[in-house]
Amino acid sequence: MTRRLVGLFIILAIAWGGLAAVLAFDMSPRLGLDLQGGTAVVLEAPAGTDPELLEVATDIMTRRIEDFGEVQEPEITVSGNDTVVVQLPGVEDEQRAIEAVGQTGLLSFRPVLEVIPGTTSPLAGTGTPGIDDETGLSIEDDISKDAYLGYSSSFGDEVLHVGPAELQGEDVDEALPFFDTTTGIWTVTLDLTPDGGEKFAQLTAEAAGFPVGDPRRQIAIILDGEVISAPSVNPDVRPETGISGGRALITIGSDAEAQQEAQDLALTLRYGSLPVAFEVSAVQKVSATLGTDSLQSGIVAGILGLALVVVVLLVGYRSMGLVAIAGLTVFGSLLVALFGVLGRWQGLTLTLAGVTGIIVSVGITADSYIVYFERVKEKIREGLAVEDATEEGFGLAFRTILTADTVSLLAAILLWFLAVGAVKGFAIALGLATILDIFVARAYTRRAVRALAATSLGSGGWFTIEGAAR
Amino acid sequence: MSTLSRLNRGETTIDFVGKRRRWFTISAIALLISLAGLGIRHLNLGIEFVGGLTLQAPNPAGAEVGEVRSALETAAVGDATIQLLDDGEAVRVTTRELDTPAESAAVDAIAGVTGSARTEISIEAVGPSFGALVARRALVALGVFLGAVALFISWRLELKMALTGLAALFHDLVITVGVYALTGFAVSPATVVAVLVVLGYSLYDTVVVFDKVSELVVLEEEKTFTAIVNQAMNSVLARSLATSLTSLLPVGSILFVGSFVLGAATLGDFALALFVGIAAGTYSSIFVAAPLLGTWKEKEPAWVERAEWVQRRSKSGRR
Repeated sequence: MTRRLVGLFIILAIAWGGLAAVLAFDMSPRLGLDLQGGTAVVLEAPAGTDPELLEVATDIMTRRIEDFGEVQEPEITVSGNDTVVVQLPGVEDEQRAIEAVGQTGLLSFRPVLEVIPGTTSPLAGTGTPGIDDETGLSIEDDISKDAYLGYSSSFGDEVLHVGPAELQGEDVDEALPFFDTTTGIWTVTLDLTPDGGEKFAQLTAEAAGFPVGDPRRQIAIILDGEVISAPSVNPDVRPETGISGGRALITIGSDAEAQQEAQDLALTLRYGSLPVAFEVSAVQKVSATLGTDSLQSGIVAGILGLALVVVVLLVGYRSMGLVAIAGLTVFGSLLVALFGVLGRWQGLTLTLAGVTGIIVSVGITADSYIVYFERVKEKIREGLAVEDATEEGFGLAFRTILTADTVSLLAAILLWFLAVGAVKGFAIALGLATILDIFVARAYTRRAVRALAATSLGSGGWFTIEGAAR
Repeated sequence: MSTLSRLNRGETTIDFVGKRRRWFTISAIALLISLAGLGIRHLNLGIEFVGGLTLQAPNPAGAEVGEVRSALETAAVGDATIQLLDDGEAVRVTTRELDTPAESAAVDAIAGVTGSARTEISIEAVGPSFGALVARRALVALGVFLGAVALFISWRLELKMALTGLAALFHDLVITVGVYALTGFAVSPATVVAVLVVLGYSLYDTVVVFDKVSELVVLEEEKTFTAIVNQAMNSVLARSLATSLTSLLPVGSILFVGSFVLGAATLGDFALALFVGIAAGTYSSIFVAAPLLGTWKEKEPAWVERAEWVQRRSKSGRR
């Protein structure tokens, strides 16, 4: 008995303590654009940009912002003919806002023609047009011409002399970081479109024609004039075919930074190229779209609704209702704490829809208690003693809860992987709520009802477990 | 014994499967009204889906979001999104497409409340923020989800339960969307989320109900499938009603108190979908999914045999 009670108190302490800690460490959940506002970045596309390209660009931006994990649920709108407004919830710092939007433009794959050690090229001081006279590097990156670009590789500072681009960002279909568990090496798998695959085979065939060790075996991956990576074609690639089949592996390495490097490179390859070269035209602070009046009335209404739930649980399930009510505060505390932590780590934001979702999920989570309590009542009517009924009832109820929650969890996981924006936010809330529901049922509810059964609230009068069944 | 206490004890004797014509008629009428509503009135899609106008004005008077909203509502421009820029130095209002007199009224209202001149207000068209690509991806996600759920329920329970469960889900979806067409409430991304909640709830509820059926199929070896479904429904009726009550109370409170009494229209759009959907979800689990399952399974050879055997036995017992 005392051991059970200790376990129970530990659970309550974790839940309520967790909430208190999160609030104390200023990790209260991050609020969305509608509740808190944020920063808007206004981007201008060159005049006469195809509206369809703008839509593709906003789609890529949405995914990129969400994938980089700093900010969730940005709102991106095309305004007028060539302006895109990106609103980022909760971001106060202008510089961070611009970084998150990342107005990177052109991704290109180019053959390396020569590698010059140091930071200057032989063209320094020659007065060649388009070349910085001091460093000899290209000033503007025109991907249809040769260029001299600085690069710091593992061998130190180098200048790469590269040829015109042979592939661009749109030729990349997918790029993913990959860890080979047998060799312990991080790589990036690169999948190209059919058209890109042919161009890539051509490019690598040319590079494979040079002897191993020649710098011209390298392919430079360049984003907006900046060399991101310059891997060499492997010795076993034959110059007749190049790397065919539209698929390539870029080996990164096995050191501590390799994982981060592989992930960053994959992201750059995947989303690095927007089909439109945007310019930032303004950065503004934006206020919440809902006045505090709306928020307050929503909260008042939510609390009122939950108060009614409390009444229903007490009348329907008597003393077991107390367990459910305490349990719902455990559930609510853990959920808010998780939102706080994930807001800090993953940029998860709570919009009004999310807040309402939490209020609703508390109502729906009450179902797990109801399923259980109904089972207990059923078992008592079958003639079991109160304590046995709470045990047997739990086994049966937990099976049902698990099946039903699996459906919810399935929904959450699939929506999280497949959807974007507000729907993704919902998926996170649903997934967290479902996992917590199973956890709370297992760790808290069972212990609490068993403890209750042993007290004077177990059997006897109206306000007891037995009383609910009669 | 009163109905309420019989309900509490799971001892009601409602014939869910036998009276199916009654339940199916009710559902058919609701579905028809919903579909007619969709066909005639169409959905009132929010700015997030169809785009609209942004009006931006300087704000020397320092108007707050609430003040701008009430000024616009007085000018009969509802459903606007209002934001203050750079700590209230300017105001940005996003509304749906307006005709010339309405646009003029909106400009007047904004000029009045912000203390700016009409000529200082810039007007520009905005595209949807919840674009076609986002919507398409959400639909793909939904399709994959429904397929996965059908597989899971088929594996955990059985195929016919999965299919009747999805039929009930479709029923709830049509009714929820139909109510939006009929009331003319704006459909926002939040509403889409609410509809997803409804789908999840509808399936969850059906699974709980069918779980009871599959439990009784193992226990009751001398009953017809119809009798088993009826028994299962009567014993879970108290739980279904209690659950829908605990889910509907907070939602209903947000819908009625939040949006009608305290005037937070944004909440209303969202809560309406939840309220209608959860009510329909509870109804359809018991009155659509279960009778459908009962009717369908009763035709299986094994259950036909069981029914004949039960009938013979009851005759010989009477003799």
